Amino acid sequence: MPIKVLPPEVTSKIAAGEVIERPSSVAKELIENSLDAGAREIVIEAHNGGVSYLRVADNGCGLSAADVEVAVRRHATSKITKLDDLEHISTLGFRGEALPSISAVAEVEILTRDMGSSAATYLHLENGKIVSREKKSRPQGTSITVRHLFRSLPARLKFLKSSNTESSHIASLVSQYALAFPEVKFQLTIDGRNSLQTPGDGDLRTAVSAVYGLETAQKMLEVQGTDGFMYIQGLASPPSVQRSSRSYLSFFVNRRYVRNSILAKAVETAFEGLLMTGRHPVVILNVAIPPEEVDVNVHPSKLEVKFRNNSSVFTAALKVLRNTLAKSPLPGVRLESENADAQSLWERFPHASVALPSLQTLGQLSASYILAEGEGGLYLIDQHAAHERILFDQIMAQRARKQPDIQGMLEPLSIELSPSQEEVMKHYQGLLAEFGFTIEPFGSRTYLVRAVPAMLDGSNLVETVKELLDEIGAEQDAGQRELKAAQSLACHGAIRAGQQLNSQEMQNLIKQLEHTSQPRTCPHGRPTMIHLSSQQLKKEFGRTG
Amino acid sequence: MKLSCLQENLNKGLGIIGRAVATRTTLPITQNVLISTDQSQLKLAATNLEIAISSWIGAKIENEGSITVPARIFTEFISSLPNDVISLNLKHHTLEIKCGRYEARINGLDAADFPPIPQVGDGFMTKILEEELKQAISQVAFAAATEESRPVLTGVQTEFEGSKLTLAAADGFRLAVHRSNLIEPVKDKVSMIIPAKAYHELHRLMSEPDQEIEITQNAQKSQVLFKLKNIEMVSQIIQGTFPNYSQLIPQTYGTKARIDVAEFQRAIKMASIFARDGSGIARVIVTPGATVEAGKITISARADEIGDNVGEIDALVDGEAAKIAFNARYLSDVLSVIKQAQVSLEVTTPSNPGVIRPVGVDNYDHVVMPMFVQW
Repeated sequence: MPIKVLPPEVTSKIAAGEVIERPSSVAKELIENSLDAGAREIVIEAHNGGVSYLRVADNGCGLSAADVEVAVRRHATSKITKLDDLEHISTLGFRGEALPSISAVAEVEILTRDMGSSAATYLHLENGKIVSREKKSRPQGTSITVRHLFRSLPARLKFLKSSNTESSHIASLVSQYALAFPEVKFQLTIDGRNSLQTPGDGDLRTAVSAVYGLETAQKMLEVQGTDGFMYIQGLASPPSVQRSSRSYLSFFVNRRYVRNSILAKAVETAFEGLLMTGRHPVVILNVAIPPEEVDVNVHPSKLEVKFRNNSSVFTAALKVLRNTLAKSPLPGVRLESENADAQSLWERFPHASVALPSLQTLGQLSASYILAEGEGGLYLIDQHAAHERILFDQIMAQRARKQPDIQGMLEPLSIELSPSQEEVMKHYQGLLAEFGFTIEPFGSRTYLVRAVPAMLDGSNLVETVKELLDEIGAEQDAGQRELKAAQSLACHGAIRAGQQLNSQEMQNLIKQLEHTSQPRTCPHGRPTMIHLSSQQLKKEFGRTG
Repeated sequence: MKLSCLQENLNKGLGIIGRAVATRTTLPITQNVLISTDQSQLKLAATNLEIAISSWIGAKIENEGSITVPARIFTEFISSLPNDVISLNLKHHTLEIKCGRYEARINGLDAADFPPIPQVGDGFMTKILEEELKQAISQVAFAAATEESRPVLTGVQTEFEGSKLTLAAADGFRLAVHRSNLIEPVKDKVSMIIPAKAYHELHRLMSEPDQEIEITQNAQKSQVLFKLKNIEMVSQIIQGTFPNYSQLIPQTYGTKARIDVAEFQRAIKMASIFARDGSGIARVIVTPGATVEAGKITISARADEIGDNVGEIDALVDGEAAKIAFNARYLSDVLSVIKQAQVSLEVTTPSNPGVIRPVGVDNYDHVVMPMFVQW
């Protein structure tokens, strides 16, 4: 087959594919342009997950009529002029790919006016070509409207998730920029609903309050420090505020939102021993670093950055975070000990489904484990895991007969959700109702909990609901989603490690565990018990010849 | 310090303050008791920084002084001594205890290092009969929340107005409100949130129903003092605003049933045998009486794959037939603190709160949120 040079329509679509992956990438490129244009106010509007309609309007510097025609060409940018500039990039964009890439895969309308022009320029592009240009009126700034994204790329369109998922991607993206630029007023409207509005007063705490809620914002600890050439500043949650996913970690390098494993590792290390396993803090870190110390030109989407010196970034971030946390009130520290001897001595039951031997409780160890005697030796039962299994089976049984046991609230409990939690709530309210929650909207992003599943004992219901939403939102597979929700509920309803139980409670717990489908594993697959056989005991005490 | 007292009195005094001794603490001295001479009496005190209890016992003082000693050792030793005269003698930091032919020496810590027992004196003050307060606490404090996510709900709203004292506690699923009489009216309306835990301890300390209890709040409104005979307890006050609970008490009902408390309790106890393997649901069906038949209430529970039970009790029913489900534990909790022989259960719909009130008095409302079940 002869080799041919591809026509420009094809190459532009291929290049666009790298930058524009989903509607939120469009939003990202346009928001970054607005920020580079010095906007103090950015209004984002999305319909149908941003696929059919996405509009970003700002009050930035705008473009002149002549510039705007150039701007829609590939590699046209005002942000750098020569190769050397790549070494000291201080703007968010620089590749000159955003507008051409978007217009290659969607219908784009641009309306912009700079300070010197008397009227705004309006351009309408289809398939990357200008189809009409007009003069219209608009205050200084730029609005870009993107319609019918990926209509010309059915393959990409097919890979998009539901419009709710895409909306929630946009919501979390805008939230990240709102956190990075507290001095800019962000307003996000999704399907006509006001989803996020930040005051733009320059205070990171008020931005956090708009995104994660007032309660979290008030508890956040100030992070600030310098190390060599770096300046790190932001907010970190005290150990008492915990989340079940890493999505509450926001990193900004020179105010660019990035995903970075070095910084994530530094956070994880700083919080080590302060949080339970599988729990994560809420952290917002702004790293200011000389432009030449960091390479942002790793991938067209610019979500990844490379530091010239990874270890010094890690050390600096860790030091600053530790200094902050040292000042915070200490919670009960839980350390996990990995005892190699115990592993060989104690037999575990990872995935057995056999029934339990009949067990007689002997006592409780560290208020966390039940000691029980049974046929063939000693059993150690993790009270939390065991109760989790019992509740999980109950939840599944209630679901099977479509009758959740529900306890009404005396007084509705109000909870404040983050924009992405709200999207999950909108979409999965039915699922929550099936589990026994009655939750009603009550103004913007505030909801009233009127009834809860009966197995929850009333402790920390607000956190339970929020984490449930996070878990459901994070699960892409619809079939797994119910399971995740049931696991999350079982975990929150179950008694904790550290709770004293009397002998009747212990005996009752074991009895209920015997009736479950998989008494030897908790719903997450961890063992509920370990066994030390009489044979092993004899051997350890040297009683066998 | 040198003094002598009776073993019986000292043992009793240590028993009173014992509950305020800190168990798990970062401040080791709070595991000690403070022993000091106070005029012609011996004062014992302990604090866990949330509450402080002091108790006075008669003693023959020879030399004034004070010391703190480890509570457990001191209490255990004293309680095993015969009922005889004990002499306590402080030499440097060692407390020498002598009783007949038994003696012991316990090393103590300087009393100056003991956390000061708060002095409460200059604020709002009133008096109530011990019996009244004791009943109020027993009917309300158990309904307070035990977990800390909403700190105000772990406390009991305590309101003084005119000659009335109102106690209220709620945990999100139930609400208990009790009204009692003060000995003399107060000038201004005063309210404070007192930790339910502190009330439980106070309840334990009350043993003389006819005594007056003096209640004093300090000027900063951060602490409250309860003065009993020879005993004082100081508790922290929870800062915050208690939810407006009066709007949560239903004003009307569709069905009202009068039931014998003992029978109701028995039926609930039986239902909970089956309910506890599930979510604790007790289903209550109220049937009004016909011309020849008396009204009745049936209480049933079931557990998947295990079985079910039904109990029937007589009731004087006013209004229509009704169905409602409750957590069996909430019902048995409230029934166990009612002294009267009968209660009334008021319900409107299966999803509206039910109200339980003792029959014959008008000082107690207990509101319970139902469970929503399929019938």
